[in-house]
Amino acid sequence: MSFISWQYFIFLPVIIISYWLLPARRRLLLLLAGSYFFYGCWDVRFLALVLATTVIDYNCGLAIAGQKKGPWQVLGLALLPAAWCLGCYVWLPASGISKPLLLVSAGMGLAFFVGHEAIGLLARDRRPKYYLILSVVFCLAILGFFKYFNFFIGSFKSLLGTVGFNAEWSMLTIILPVGISFYTFQSLGYVIDVYRGQSPACSDLLTFATFDAFFPQMVSGPIERGKNLIPQLEKGASLQDAHVQDGLRLMLVGFFKKVFVADNCAILANYAFDPKTSLNGYWAVIGVVAFAFQIYADFSGYTDIARGSAKLLGIDLMENFKFPYFSRTPSEFWGRWHISLSTWFRDYLYIPLGGNRGARWNTLRNLAIVMLLAGLWHGANWVFVLWGAYHGALLILYRVLPPFNRLPAKDGAWTWRDALAVPLMLVFTLVGWAIFRSPSVSHLGVWFAALGNWDPALGLAWQSSLLWLLIHILPLILLQGLAWKYRDEATLDHVPWMARGLVYVIMILLIVSSGEQDKEFIYFQF
Amino acid sequence: MKRLITPACLMVVCLLVLAEVIARVFFAQDISGRFDYGYNPQAGFAEPADGTVELFRAGGRRFHPQTFKRHRPPGTFRIFVVGDSVPRGPSFTTAYPWFLGEELRRHDIAAESINLAVPGYGPRRCQVVLQKILEYEPSLIVLHINDTNKWEDEREWRRSQEFQGWHPRHWLMKVFIFRRLYEAKLEKVFWPLVPETIRLKYAANDADAQVAAGQDPREIAARIRLAEETAAENVAMLRQRQIPIILVTQCRLEEDPRRGLYLTDHGLDPLGAALIGPGTYHISMKDVFSRRDFRALFTNFSGHLHQEGHQVLAHAIWEKIELERAALGLPGAKVAVAGSPPNPPTMARDPQAVVSKP
Repeated sequence: MSFISWQYFIFLPVIIISYWLLPARRRLLLLLAGSYFFYGCWDVRFLALVLATTVIDYNCGLAIAGQKKGPWQVLGLALLPAAWCLGCYVWLPASGISKPLLLVSAGMGLAFFVGHEAIGLLARDRRPKYYLILSVVFCLAILGFFKYFNFFIGSFKSLLGTVGFNAEWSMLTIILPVGISFYTFQSLGYVIDVYRGQSPACSDLLTFATFDAFFPQMVSGPIERGKNLIPQLEKGASLQDAHVQDGLRLMLVGFFKKVFVADNCAILANYAFDPKTSLNGYWAVIGVVAFAFQIYADFSGYTDIARGSAKLLGIDLMENFKFPYFSRTPSEFWGRWHISLSTWFRDYLYIPLGGNRGARWNTLRNLAIVMLLAGLWHGANWVFVLWGAYHGALLILYRVLPPFNRLPAKDGAWTWRDALAVPLMLVFTLVGWAIFRSPSVSHLGVWFAALGNWDPALGLAWQSSLLWLLIHILPLILLQGLAWKYRDEATLDHVPWMARGLVYVIMILLIVSSGEQDKEFIYFQF
Repeated sequence: MKRLITPACLMVVCLLVLAEVIARVFFAQDISGRFDYGYNPQAGFAEPADGTVELFRAGGRRFHPQTFKRHRPPGTFRIFVVGDSVPRGPSFTTAYPWFLGEELRRHDIAAESINLAVPGYGPRRCQVVLQKILEYEPSLIVLHINDTNKWEDEREWRRSQEFQGWHPRHWLMKVFIFRRLYEAKLEKVFWPLVPETIRLKYAANDADAQVAAGQDPREIAARIRLAEETAAENVAMLRQRQIPIILVTQCRLEEDPRRGLYLTDHGLDPLGAALIGPGTYHISMKDVFSRRDFRALFTNFSGHLHQEGHQVLAHAIWEKIELERAALGLPGAKVAVAGSPPNPPTMARDPQAVVSKP
């Protein structure tokens, strides 16, 4: 179920009203059932993967904290995903669950159970580390298989082909489960936090399952931390005016970004990055600017709707975007763009690798590794790896080269240098988006080549399209200008109420003026 | 909970509700039938107590605003022109129904030529208009046969059915100001600014899907079939009521790398010719314009005409009326005697009768 579907406009009020009417314990049950329904609307089979991730990390988290469940309980939980598949096989034959899939899911459950119990035989002080490894291995195995199996097999085949071997392996038909990268990382983050002692283990399965599958942020983030979300779920909230006001405002801004800005920019970006399009310089620039605003408005719009929906349930989700295109340096950009992912990589990969500690060379190496993996996280395609490498190179250059490494840290006072630094960083960001959006590495060459060809005869007339683009990005820029003071993209509290009301009316009218497009969110595919 | 409704929130609700109420109260007539998308027989027709009929731009019916008497005045030759954007013309006074009225009056026929054409109307919705105007005592009906708007007819039928239903998908667009804004952006911003190539390929939009469907051979065959069936039904209906009809089969200006610019009737001309019979006449736009330098008369690659093209078509229809004068119940041509001007028409030429409202 998509946030911009009519189904969501029925689903959300039903959940919210029921939530506030129910007693605290039943609220969690409602949220869990609602979240599974929300996810199951895409593909009911993949709820087995959500269940598997939940079961693995719930058991490992408890075991790491020394609260290991008994073997029968672990076995029962480990077989839950297989039971779900069996249910689909018996009652939903159209879901496509086959007997081999049933066997695989049961086998996975048993393998986890055996691993879990085997670690329990180790010395007490060695167990937490191995439970952590067990969780990481199983979760990344699921993610790796569904997201990267064909990519690595295909790349390996190509590699063998270049050295003269012609491998005749056939690729598997694997459907990418919606949001798998998001909920896997969220769940893994929880286990690592428990291992580090930064978060208590969640002993209540219902709470943990709700944390893992919380519908507002499950499929496209923000990637929440256990220490932020689990206590809120456990404690429950009382309905406050501010929740409703903030929630509705966040949702309005989110819909504005998605429906008015992103979906209309997408029309031009899709044309410019189509391999069949004859590109000239004008279209290369229009295309990449359109995509920059598309992806930003799409993803931050999703986040705003997610945060707004959660607010209406009395739950605060973390901010994910803070005016990223106003960044002066790459490190500032990553502090403003997809904050929940960049902080995840910082906390769970960059710092364990050594972070800024040690020799300068080590820091640069760590940056490169993290950015390569962050690129790969976005998808199984070499352009994402290249995009990660490009941003890694930018981070390194800004640390190494003298004029750049003297630029102030984020949130510092703006100087005359910023007037140069912001547009320069925006240009670097745009080049990054060209890499990201290119359908293949070879097509990226076409985009760069187009920048050397400004023949207007090549390609469609660009002037009216540029006007279309400006019509759709200028309102967003104006909105950001209004919200800039509060450093929160969706806060207009400092604006006089009449002006604020007018802004809301304009946003509503702009949303409905683009109201019949029904385009999916980009980040679902990641 | 008292702060739940903030002043800004209240302002939003009030402004939107006010705008909707104003629209529905002060523009009620314009909204009428909007969600029937042209399938409401009454949309665009107002019948005030003074015995006149007013045509206005209503939901789904963008008539040129005109006024005429409900009952045809004695001795008046009343022509209704029914069709799509081709007869509707670039403006009321540069479209051929206007020139036809002028031409008839120049030949001392007290004529009312009323333009009932609406852009995007295909056979189905033209038929609804046709059935309605039978109430207004036509002397002659000029019905355009086109094959290009079937898709729109079907889409609008689907929409009208959906809007009458309860489906939540349409709740938002049932708000008049929202729907109007959406349509205005689509027509005034999206279509002019985004090149057609891009719209067809990447934009999920009804109108663009329509153009794409227009290139499908099966769709083209179905359109011709529908035009044929509907025209036969219309002719049968008018014959039964003994109302004369001129079928105008439309053509389009197209371009081919080998042939250059050429006119094509998409197979409509044989269809029109096959229906000729008592009280049923046929004019082929392709025949009319092929005899001239048609390049200057058509707008680019469409069936739309420039003003000069409309004048040519008006003249061709006048010639047909002149030819069938007796059959159409018109008095014989008056021959002016030297020194004595022809008698004025029996009915005073009331410019208000067919003059467009500003």
